[in-house]
Amino acid sequence: MALLDIRNLSIDIETAQGKIRVIDKATLNIVDGSIHGLIGESGSGKTLIAKAILGLHSSNWTVTADRMFLDKTDLTKLSVKERRNILGTEISVIFQEPSSYLDPSQRIRKQIESVLPKKTWQQRFRPILSKIKRVSVPSRRLQIKELLHKVGIQNDVAVLKSFPHQLSEGVCQKVMIAMAIANNPRLIIADEPTTAMEAVTQSQIYRLLYKLNQLNNTTLLILSNNFANTSSISDYMTLVYCGQSVESGSYKQIMGSAMHPYTQAMLKTMINNEEFHEHKAQLYTLPGNIPSSNQLPIGCRLGPRCPKAQKICVKNPTLTIKKGHSYRCHYPSKLS
Amino acid sequence: MLINNGFNEDKIQSPLRYIWSIFKSKSIAVLAMWAIVILIFISLFASWIVPHPPLLQDPEQMLLPPYWVEGGTIDHVLGTDELGRDTLSRLFHGVQYTLGGALIITFFVSLIGMTIGAGAALTKGVKASILHHLLDALLAIPSLLSALILITFFGPSYINCLIAIALSLLPQFIRASFLAIEQELNKQYIIALQLDGAAKTRLFRYGILPNILEPTITILNRLFTMAIIEIATLGFLGFGAQLPQTELGALIANSMELIYLSPWLVAFPGLAIFIIIIIVNVFAEGLRHAVIEGEE
Amino acid sequence: MLSFLIRRLNLLVITAFILTILAFAIDRTILIHHQTKAPIAQDYILQYFAYLWDLLSANIGHSALNHQPLLQRGLTFFASTLELCFVALLFSSIIAIPLGLLAGLFRNTKLDYAIMTIAIIGLALPVFWVGVMAGLLPSVWGDILPVDGNMSLVYDVPVVTGFLLIDTLFVTPQYGLFAFFDRVAHLILPAAVLSFFLIAEIVRLTRHSMTMVMRSNYIQTAYAKGFSRTKIVFVHALNNALPPIIPQLRLQLSTILSFAMTIEIVFNLNGIGTWLYNSLKSGDYHALPAGMLIITGFILIFSIAIEIMMVIISPIRRGSLYAN
Repeated sequence: MALLDIRNLSIDIETAQGKIRVIDKATLNIVDGSIHGLIGESGSGKTLIAKAILGLHSSNWTVTADRMFLDKTDLTKLSVKERRNILGTEISVIFQEPSSYLDPSQRIRKQIESVLPKKTWQQRFRPILSKIKRVSVPSRRLQIKELLHKVGIQNDVAVLKSFPHQLSEGVCQKVMIAMAIANNPRLIIADEPTTAMEAVTQSQIYRLLYKLNQLNNTTLLILSNNFANTSSISDYMTLVYCGQSVESGSYKQIMGSAMHPYTQAMLKTMINNEEFHEHKAQLYTLPGNIPSSNQLPIGCRLGPRCPKAQKICVKNPTLTIKKGHSYRCHYPSKLS
Repeated sequence: MLINNGFNEDKIQSPLRYIWSIFKSKSIAVLAMWAIVILIFISLFASWIVPHPPLLQDPEQMLLPPYWVEGGTIDHVLGTDELGRDTLSRLFHGVQYTLGGALIITFFVSLIGMTIGAGAALTKGVKASILHHLLDALLAIPSLLSALILITFFGPSYINCLIAIALSLLPQFIRASFLAIEQELNKQYIIALQLDGAAKTRLFRYGILPNILEPTITILNRLFTMAIIEIATLGFLGFGAQLPQTELGALIANSMELIYLSPWLVAFPGLAIFIIIIIVNVFAEGLRHAVIEGEE
Repeated sequence: MLSFLIRRLNLLVITAFILTILAFAIDRTILIHHQTKAPIAQDYILQYFAYLWDLLSANIGHSALNHQPLLQRGLTFFASTLELCFVALLFSSIIAIPLGLLAGLFRNTKLDYAIMTIAIIGLALPVFWVGVMAGLLPSVWGDILPVDGNMSLVYDVPVVTGFLLIDTLFVTPQYGLFAFFDRVAHLILPAAVLSFFLIAEIVRLTRHSMTMVMRSNYIQTAYAKGFSRTKIVFVHALNNALPPIIPQLRLQLSTILSFAMTIEIVFNLNGIGTWLYNSLKSGDYHALPAGMLIITGFILIFSIAIEIMMVIISPIRRGSLYAN
């Protein structure tokens, strides 16, 4: 069952040099209850796709999609207000560099409180209720405390009292995650959640996300530029290059039978110990650089860097789907 | 000519050229730029292009209104003053004094101020500390007051007024340029350049100068605006240009007694100051936006 | 917090010291320039300390014209200058802050351009000229607002605080509220003229601050939380956009005072500007160092008060304090 189903998402951005198609027919299919890795180099447009899903784009973008469904609701047909209601309750986001994503002039308590669902009347009259009847209504403070303990913050009292600049990046990210899961959303989009963090904190955050997925059955979309790290926890993966989704499939399909040259290149760049590396051999990379956004190649954007490119690659290849494994290439081939 | 553009690889423009191409697309700013060119032309060649000598008195035609009002003549487009001197010619000469003075002040203050500001930002220790405290003290004196103090010493005259204004605006400019450079110094690429062993002058030339373009435009614009307003204010108060000199502020002061009889004489010089400042501000804003867009 | 206070006060003392040296230098130069009698001794250091001692016992000297103590006279005049500035600041803040916020919120729209045009015009108008032109208003619209003087001569208000608005309210009950309203009427036009500059300045500062805040990451978070735009503006944006304006405006304080002094001279208000102007015109040059000390003293104390206030109200500033 697909929780999020996006077909042919295109984003054009109006710039001084005219319209630039930054995302070109990206397709994304996220299975309910899975961890989906969206992998691409920085500047490949992962964040843009995430923003388009959230509907947080600025006015000079034009977003077009053939299909954009969250479960059974069509996101393209929702009004701005309905779209807003989905955010925070159905979909929530965590960002990279979390400390800058927290309001510097508000205490953490207030920021977490603002995402909790509205106080019920029972909560409002809790002191009175608990005296009259023996009902136990969870207090606001208890709710927040529980939330913080869920994400692994032990000294909740101190954290709640402080301002974002007094906390470390790791703790800030945990607070962000706590705010993201406050309403039990079905999908959490994590935009490079561990960039610029220490290795220990990174693995903590990843473990936390993994646990969330396993315990609450929350679907996760992890945006990352680290193929090796992300692939280890994802069930499904989509690779993006320069705004085109090049290949998508389950962990096994990508790792075992990658069809697209870009994916194969990414696999080759992973350093694994089993394989025999020749002494002083060069590590593998694709030749060339990522093209800048105002000078994109036509057709398959990998073209100029692709080891297998031929004349026909100036045309955009069509999407091939085989048993949920999809790729866009004129010359797909298995890695020998 | 062989032009190989088949791969859609545009030549990457130099940043200044790029900024210029953005600036060119802003029609108001370009208009302001041409207006500035005209103004500078007027202030340089005022003596040659005026219709009448500014001091020529004409007892036949005193206190004429501008030509579009009853009683005005096309010979004196903006009318005449109480001695029959042509207002337009006097205005042109006023622009020469006011705008020219402001340009000179801006030039010298920016040169000296940038040097001291950069020096203060790039050095640390006792020298910089003394300078800071001195600046703190000088900045607390309103520029009008310090100009008044200086003029009390020098005696009121046009040149002294320029010197006094330049000196009173200098601390503000030093502080502003110091802050701009200081902010730049904390950036990562400057630290990288420092680690490369770049000398102070090289650091300033290649690391800092190209990156403080936008704040520099802002503070230069501000400096220029303040210079014009202060020249006119001091002229108005009688501490600046003395009588035969037709500085715009002094023109207003001279016609104050006639304000009910012929309000034009007061209105036009003020409007001239206003228009000059507006034009320069529009130009500077356009340039600043072009720089910001070019950097993005 | 204590170390911060000590450091600030330390700076205050050093700056004040430099200023007294300046005032002393001006005082002596005037003595040499404009006095016929030769200076008594050449020992400037001793003379300076004598001067400093005089200052500490609140005695800057006496006017050469009417032998009144300069400090008391200057302070009385300065109070009404401050009154003018305060009224103008209040007036322009009420107008300019909402305008600036709107411009920052709807950046690069027609509304923004309209507001910025107003700001540029306000900045470009030479204050003294606007004052002169405002003096013409009664001849156009009739005598609605007075254009000269602090207040009508029929009221005799003794100097208690120096702030006429307060004095007329509390000291002279015999006039009722008439004296107060008379003072307000006399303040309206000068304050409005001074507001031109202030509005332009505050609009620019507010707009810049608001744009910066609206671009920042935590506004993105707020959007991602599903908040409406209005809620984001009121809950997150205002709290972060408004406090930085205050220290920015503080930097403009000396410019504001400059303009206020000019306006006083044009409107013939009693203030420190008119006082200095008249003293200079009549050759009483000793008013200059006295006026300078009063104005700079005020600016210094005020700046430090603002800085301490900022540290108290803004958690971000507090944070940067600890970092240093």
